[in-house]
Amino acid sequence: MIRFHNVSKIYNKSGKALNKINLHVKPGEFVSIVGQSGTGKTTLVKTMIGEEQVDEGKIIIGGWDITDIGQREIPILRRQIGVIFQDFKLLNKKTLFENVAFAMQVCGGRPAKIKKIVPHVMKIVGLEKKISSYPQEISGGEQQRAAIARALVHRPKILLADEPTGNLDSINANEIIELLLRINKFGTTVILVTHNREVVNNLRRRVVTIDDGTIISDQAVGKYIL
Amino acid sequence: MFFSFARIIKFSLQDIFRNIWLSLVTVIILILALFTVNMLLMVKVIGDMAVEAVEEKIDVNLYLKPNAKEDEILALKAKINNLNEVKNVEYISNAQALKNFKEKHQDNPEILEALRELNINPLTPTLVIKPKNLDVFDNLVNRLNALDENIIESRNFTNYKALLEKINSITRKVTEAGIFLSAIFIMITILVIYNSVRVAIYTHRRQITIMKLVGASNWFIQMPYLISGLIYAFFGVAAIMLIFYPFLSLLQPYLEAFFVGYNVNLLDFFYGNMFTIFGMQFLAGSLINMFASLIAVGKYSRV
Ligand SMILES: Nc1ncnc2c1ncn2[C@@H]1O[C@H](COP(=O)(O)OP(=O)(O)OP(=O)(O)O)[C@@H](O)[C@H]1O
Ligand SMILES: [Mg+2]
Repeated sequence: MIRFHNVSKIYNKSGKALNKINLHVKPGEFVSIVGQSGTGKTTLVKTMIGEEQVDEGKIIIGGWDITDIGQREIPILRRQIGVIFQDFKLLNKKTLFENVAFAMQVCGGRPAKIKKIVPHVMKIVGLEKKISSYPQEISGGEQQRAAIARALVHRPKILLADEPTGNLDSINANEIIELLLRINKFGTTVILVTHNREVVNNLRRRVVTIDDGTIISDQAVGKYIL
Repeated sequence: MFFSFARIIKFSLQDIFRNIWLSLVTVIILILALFTVNMLLMVKVIGDMAVEAVEEKIDVNLYLKPNAKEDEILALKAKINNLNEVKNVEYISNAQALKNFKEKHQDNPEILEALRELNINPLTPTLVIKPKNLDVFDNLVNRLNALDENIIESRNFTNYKALLEKINSITRKVTEAGIFLSAIFIMITILVIYNSVRVAIYTHRRQITIMKLVGASNWFIQMPYLISGLIYAFFGVAAIMLIFYPFLSLLQPYLEAFFVGYNVNLLDFFYGNMFTIFGMQFLAGSLINMFASLIAVGKYSRV
């Protein structure tokens, strides 16, 4: 599903954000990526959605070589990859329904389809009762679930989560991880970038550890080793 | 496709109303630019009308001896009519001239009384010659001066050329100033539109980031700002139409007073050519606005 071949990324002369990364993620896998701050985890996520171009190596996603992806193809790539972040990135002036619908609207989705899909994904994340609320009116965990709902509207094959629990307490964090596991069970490949030792250790899934832009460990059932 | 288009228009309207003050300033500047352009057009039209009116009145009078015989006069008339430079020749007999004179002065009893006391017709038969156009005027005067028929008493060649040149030079100067002013306003418009779009993009940067993240295409992200340019142009032209026609109505009486005896009607001109004039301005305004938006979008919407 995802293949990195000797990928390096240099922002400036200060050093390599990614250094000869080799990574293969199979369809349906749930992979945690851990590592200290500034080691290149977010950079890794950005290269997968065409937000950053790599300087060396090759990235193949679902058989598609996106290493030198063009501006016009990036939207097509992004409709196949859902992404969520620490800061949710919801629009405060829109209700949850509107926030999720927005993702379909701006991609040319038909109103009838939007009316059908949005309640469906809201139900998957357990927010069907809050579709008329505004982001400020709900908890951080609920906001992150709304962001996940939005990431699911295009039925992505891959879900990238960059520190999705970074702003949440442990109860909310656990709920989000549960949700990601559930989505993974439906067949979506999940990449979880996290700092949270407890989360990683409880998952008992594959863990890739990055340090200074290099993969220093890759275990099928891993522990947080730093 | 249809939904996308409707949404793009919705987004751009939202963007215009969210920054309503900035939008108003943008449209006002656009109105100022359009106003100068229309003033320029107006000056040009007045100039053309004045020149045309004067050209219509240009003629050369050949005064003939009172005792000249009718057949000699007609022979001379035919001869002049054959000249290349001549559009037509009108023969006014002394009887006709007297009649015209009396009509012209019918409100002036003293002149009429003096005429009666004279007891003879003091007016001479006249040939009124219209040149084909202004360019051949000098040639025509030379030809007429060269005529040596002895029935010609005198020749009166008013120098219309100088008058027309004066009108033309005034029109030219005003046009130059107008072009300069219009250019400045168009430049200001471009800058203002550019800035509005820049601010709009800045206001929506969060939304743009999200749009990119969820896979919106570039044209979908950028189109609303181009459409905004179009909408500004639309409101600008609509406003200038609402402003300019009353303005012309106010101006018209002064123009008529100034150009007495000439047919100078701006209102007619601006009504008759409404679609051409304002259609072109809408087109040009849209192009300029889209151009400014395009630069701003190209520069600021990359996230
Ligand atoms: N746009 C950028 N321009 C220059 N340098 C950058 C840029 N983005 C990231 N970097 C640098 O690249 C390195 C890796 O950054 P990255 O954001 O990938 O780290 P991270 O592992 O996600 O850190 P964190 O856990 O704090 O989120 C850092 O040294 C960072 O300073
Ligand atoms: Mg990061």
